[in-house]
Amino acid sequence: MNKPLAKILLNPIRLTIVSALLSVENCDFNYLKKITGTTQGNLSIQLKKLKEEGYIDVKKTFENNYPKTRCAITPKGKKSFEIFYNNLISYQPDQSKN
Amino acid sequence: MNNTDQLQLIDDTIKKTKERLQPLGYNFIFWGILIISMSFVHLLFPSFVQQTRYSAVLYWVIFPLGGIIYTLYYNIKIKEQIGYETHLSRVIKIIWGVFNLSWIIIVVVSFFEGFHPVPQIIFLLAITTLISGLIIKFTPVIVGGLSLFALYIGMYVIGDINYFIVNILALTFGLLLPGFALYYNKRDE
Repeated sequence: MNKPLAKILLNPIRLTIVSALLSVENCDFNYLKKITGTTQGNLSIQLKKLKEEGYIDVKKTFENNYPKTRCAITPKGKKSFEIFYNNLISYQPDQSKN
Repeated sequence: MNNTDQLQLIDDTIKKTKERLQPLGYNFIFWGILIISMSFVHLLFPSFVQQTRYSAVLYWVIFPLGGIIYTLYYNIKIKEQIGYETHLSRVIKIIWGVFNLSWIIIVVVSFFEGFHPVPQIIFLLAITTLISGLIIKFTPVIVGGLSLFALYIGMYVIGDINYFIVNILALTFGLLLPGFALYYNKRDE
């Protein structure tokens, strides 16, 4: 029987954020905005949800009087993504039966 | 969104956040040109650089320190521009940070102990370049590191050799040429 997928990662924007953070040490808000192709407001909401779940760390600083947001994946986020990814793979239909 | 779409999204996102080698290439080229130029000036105008014992030391400390500050600024700006830092670029940053610290220690100790720091610096550069090349799996940088080791051994085999010529050869084969190969590599495209 298939295991349930983590609900938080079913959202494509949140899944893109976690996938991007998985392969980097950290990345900034503008880069996440670019790869998700979403609005600033929506991205902020999704980052907040991921932070609340303990999937990501968000650091806010000021550079030249402009706010700067950098995000990094947490060990919990990595582990959850790994489980999510393995579940996705196990859901794949067996191509040989087609 | 079905499972296949989700897997595709993960795959596409990871592919987008790839390692960029061009900034490392720029650093190699910058240091290659700076040290080769300084070696040429010292080789051609020794009386100008060596007016006093301190003038030669200051010459070999102030310009490289300026270079360290400039490359630090450049690397911070590039990181902001790219928007992310990969695990690999963090490792490379640490390795070259340790190189800078070791370089300062060698220069200071050589001044007080009165020995020429070039052989030690070439050896240190060989280790750092070879490790960098092996980590990023980039053959020209690996070859650059190995050629630096060859030069280091060559210095002892030949014996009486002008250290500025060694410096010029080392920086050309160890940093400048691998730097151009990194800068114009196809992996960034």
